[in-house]
Amino acid sequence: MNHFKRNWPLHVMILPSLLFLIIFNYLPMAGIVMAFQNFKPWLGLAHSEWVGLENFRTLFERQDSVEVIWNTLIISALKIVLNLVAPFTFALFLNEVRKAFFKRFVQTLVYLPHFLSWVILGGILLDVLSTDGGFLNQILSSWFGIEPIFFLGDNNWFRFTVIVSDVWKEFGFGTIVFLAALSNVNPSLYEAAEVDGASRWKQTIHITLPSMLPIAVVVGTLALGNILNAGFDQIFNLYNPLVYQKGDIIDTFVYRTAILNGEMGLGAAIGLFKSIISMVLIIISYRLAYKLANYRIF
Amino acid sequence: MKAYTKKALTLACSLVLISTIFTGCSSSKEETTSDSGKVTSDTSKNENAYKDKYDPPVTLTTVWGVDPELKFKNEETIENNVATKWAKDTLGVDIKSLWSVTDTNNAFATKLRLAMSSGQEMPDVVTIGDANLAQDLINSGMFQDAGALFDKYASEEWKKAMAQDPNVWNPYTVDGKRMGIPVLDYAYNHDYLLWIRQDWLDKLGLATPKTMDELETIMDAFKNKNPDGLKPDEVIPLSIGFKTTMNTWMGDPSWVFGAYGTIPQQWNKSADGKLEYGSINPAMKQGLQKLTEWFNKGYIPKEAALWDENKTSEPAVAGKAGILPGPYWMSGWPLVDTVKNVKTAVWKPIALPTGPDGKAGRHGTLFTNGVTLIKKDIEHPEALFTYQNYMFKNLANSQPGGVFDNGLFKGYDYDMDANGKALRYDDIPGGYVNSLRYLLVRDGARDPGAQMKALLNLADGKEATTRLEKEVKLNYGLQTPAAAKVLMSQEGIAYPNMYTGPTTSTMKSKMDYLNKIENQTFNEIIYGKQSIEAFDKFVETWKSSGGEQVTTEVNDWYSKLSK
Amino acid sequence: MYHKTTGYRIFSIFNTVMLLGLSLLCIVPLLHVLAVSFSSKSAADANIVGLWPVHFSLEAYKKTIDNPVFLHSIWVSVKRTVLGSVLTLLLAFLAAYPLSKETSIFKSRNIYSWIFVFTMVFSGGLVPFYIVIQKLHLINSFWVLVLPGAVNVYLTILLMNFFRGIPKELEEAAFIDGAGHFRTLFSIFLPVSLPAIATLTLFSVVFHWNSWFDGLLYLNNSKSFPLATFLQTVIVQKDMSSMSIDPKEVALLSQKTVNAAQIFIGALPVLVVYPFLQKYFVKGLVVGAVKE
Repeated sequence: MNHFKRNWPLHVMILPSLLFLIIFNYLPMAGIVMAFQNFKPWLGLAHSEWVGLENFRTLFERQDSVEVIWNTLIISALKIVLNLVAPFTFALFLNEVRKAFFKRFVQTLVYLPHFLSWVILGGILLDVLSTDGGFLNQILSSWFGIEPIFFLGDNNWFRFTVIVSDVWKEFGFGTIVFLAALSNVNPSLYEAAEVDGASRWKQTIHITLPSMLPIAVVVGTLALGNILNAGFDQIFNLYNPLVYQKGDIIDTFVYRTAILNGEMGLGAAIGLFKSIISMVLIIISYRLAYKLANYRIF
Repeated sequence: MKAYTKKALTLACSLVLISTIFTGCSSSKEETTSDSGKVTSDTSKNENAYKDKYDPPVTLTTVWGVDPELKFKNEETIENNVATKWAKDTLGVDIKSLWSVTDTNNAFATKLRLAMSSGQEMPDVVTIGDANLAQDLINSGMFQDAGALFDKYASEEWKKAMAQDPNVWNPYTVDGKRMGIPVLDYAYNHDYLLWIRQDWLDKLGLATPKTMDELETIMDAFKNKNPDGLKPDEVIPLSIGFKTTMNTWMGDPSWVFGAYGTIPQQWNKSADGKLEYGSINPAMKQGLQKLTEWFNKGYIPKEAALWDENKTSEPAVAGKAGILPGPYWMSGWPLVDTVKNVKTAVWKPIALPTGPDGKAGRHGTLFTNGVTLIKKDIEHPEALFTYQNYMFKNLANSQPGGVFDNGLFKGYDYDMDANGKALRYDDIPGGYVNSLRYLLVRDGARDPGAQMKALLNLADGKEATTRLEKEVKLNYGLQTPAAAKVLMSQEGIAYPNMYTGPTTSTMKSKMDYLNKIENQTFNEIIYGKQSIEAFDKFVETWKSSGGEQVTTEVNDWYSKLSK
Repeated sequence: MYHKTTGYRIFSIFNTVMLLGLSLLCIVPLLHVLAVSFSSKSAADANIVGLWPVHFSLEAYKKTIDNPVFLHSIWVSVKRTVLGSVLTLLLAFLAAYPLSKETSIFKSRNIYSWIFVFTMVFSGGLVPFYIVIQKLHLINSFWVLVLPGAVNVYLTILLMNFFRGIPKELEEAAFIDGAGHFRTLFSIFLPVSLPAIATLTLFSVVFHWNSWFDGLLYLNNSKSFPLATFLQTVIVQKDMSSMSIDPKEVALLSQKTVNAAQIFIGALPVLVVYPFLQKYFVKGLVVGAVKE
């Protein structure tokens, strides 16, 4: 009782958010039942026919379902890792810039690609990566004597292309959160280190890096929520029949079979499957962080 | 303690809300059924309700998926504009919009399905392009036997237009009942021919190609002895793409298969009268071999597998492509822009070349592009017919001196200068807006054969007298009539897609995979990653992975139809 | 000191060159898009525009801006971005504080935080969401753009983690002075966490400014669309295979240049916001100030 008396403001602070979550997130979760229905819009949630796991069967019984799920996992796992490492590293380098103007200039420019949509970027990549006089292949052949590489049409290169282009697009935006973390570091730490004669390198290792690490862990863990979203817009604009084998992902499959046909039950089932996998991974990393570093991610 | 009470309270609240959601749905359903009882008696009272003008006005509700390109002027909206005002004043039909949505990213279908799921009021009349959505609405049981109403109320003009192709009803026929009225479109709109750089042909002194062999000679000359002095690497003799499909509207390769006797990715009538999936016909093999050969010789784009339709037009507009397959109207767009980039460029339409057995083929176009559904038990279904009969009389078959002689609404889709001469569409003060799209049934009314007839008349040098002729002459690309003539010279070679029924259950579960392996195999053969023998293996896999089942279902539907 | 050593100087030069290179890599595609947006339709359709406009033309911008819905859509966007971001930040600010407490102080925090995280992963999909929106009479209301997304769990968790980085001594000192939770939050945490709040503001503004799907689905009339939704409808990826074609209309299409112009019109305001917020990223400014 005493405990509560002291802490009631804490509950009150959470309450508004909680109400919003209940209304706009938890109430609609009733719709998860659609995953087990042959959902027909005119029958609604209450009257649609129950089909058990039929919708899940459609996903798993396809000859290519293992391939598609595997593609999704590989592409998104690499994206998650690199979209963490790249901004993290970039923030470290940017942190070494002493001229404030130059720092802001670079910061602003690298943040721009985030605002380009994949429809536009897809067209640009098609030209830049073309084997037929594309800019990149021209450089590769004239500078390094490399035969033109079919970046978008070769199964060995497609994933690489997808991941690198995604990292290029997002690293500037991703840097922001780390820069904010850096601005939270107490400058007296650096002053003390400098007085002790620590080199810049040592300062980076012992002060800068550790101060960014918690945020990196948080961002990384929350990104696991997207482990089965390999980036629909990007893949949809870049893939083609030559790279279906390595490039077709769950979301493009959902688009072709569930969305275009209005098969809402199937869409819900696949959504639920993705959510469960993500949740399991999040729980695991939460536990690991708590066990190993005694750190609660959230 | 209190915190827990609070939590319990919110939980209780949410439970209540959940239950209202469900009960809300079902109760609204009950309402509609009880309503319908009342209305039916009304309808029977108004047995001969059809009028040319209703006074007082009657109301029809509808919903709109607005084409993103559709423009408005004078502060109008789709709900309230020159067309709705006209309908109320002239016919006494008050068009009331329940909602509208700009139809990008599938928004119209999604919104209509959501409206259905949440028990919202359905429109009295709705026009739909998306076949799956139409099927959903028909299955919902909320719409009525439109065919019966059509027989009862439709005018002779409309019935005659509809009769030009008896197959137009097929997609919407359920157990012998015609559940929706097909929206007619101009025939041959997507039938294609080849556009060729006539100036290149002339400079090389070559004749128009008639066969595939002659075409090859020409492509070789375009590439290796280019008249514009382009290096072989820079020329794309034939601009085609296969990114999503091999059966499309521009940059389409399906005629290559047509020359050997099949059209891929659609259902063709086979020799035994049954329907057959074009992509598994043995003739595909020869077509694929031809494409492989052309690919290796550099006649088609190196990255054809990555190219969609719009991409295939880029080199054509840039003046680097020699041949581009596409519809007859392409001289208006995009080819008209080529001269802005290459002054000497001249595009001419030519007929599709024939294969070794003298065959040629292309995909056909359906005479319809959508369907109009009528809700059960509405008060004035006949008002729709008043509206459409008027359109078929005055718009589809407009005669010189008629109401819509020059167009639909002055200052919108047409206008006159001071001398009473019609202005070109881009000269209309305040800008051209396609007010035909404001009409209750999209595009108002089209007589399938009318457009071609107008074009052929113009091609034969006749004076433009009817609305369509005038419009075509004024607004379409210079080569359009000639292209129409070329197209009609090969009228018999079109393979229409014979299956227009609903997505069957096996199609739902298997067709996406089958399409995927098909695209994959065909592209890999052309790119030399698999030998041509892979085609036989594909056919086997296709049949055993559900294709056989789909074929049976398709033929079941077809046999029921022909009865 | 360290930045005087040769090794560090070499590193500095290398660093500057690398950062410049990366910036260039990020800006070049944008310059191309900008060039396309100022080119004529015929040049864009032929794909012959590089980094400089070919046949300079303002047609694409005119086409977008001439639309009477355009100006109003900017107003809607500004309204939703301001109201939405303020609400999101307020809610996140309030919720992050209790969540940042240790379990020893605030026992229920774990339950709460899982309630939050759960919603990031699971969702009921469009249908039930639409029904809820409808029951709340939010269909076709401006508030549908603000309320449903008001709680941003991702931002709340980020802010919570920033709060944890605030030295415990600050908070303890406040408690000893007799301050309650609310006063601690607003007078101690708020000034210290300005860099974090600047970051969150940026994320929230970008999110609201770019959201278009909710407008398309829940507003019944294009006159009340926010800018992102409006621009989305100006871009056309027309599927000609299923449309009834009117060659006149097709001729008026000039997707490429309009798409390109759209990017700049749409992104410009957010691009302007960023440099403005950057001044809050100055290292250690606040923490240091409070310490003294």
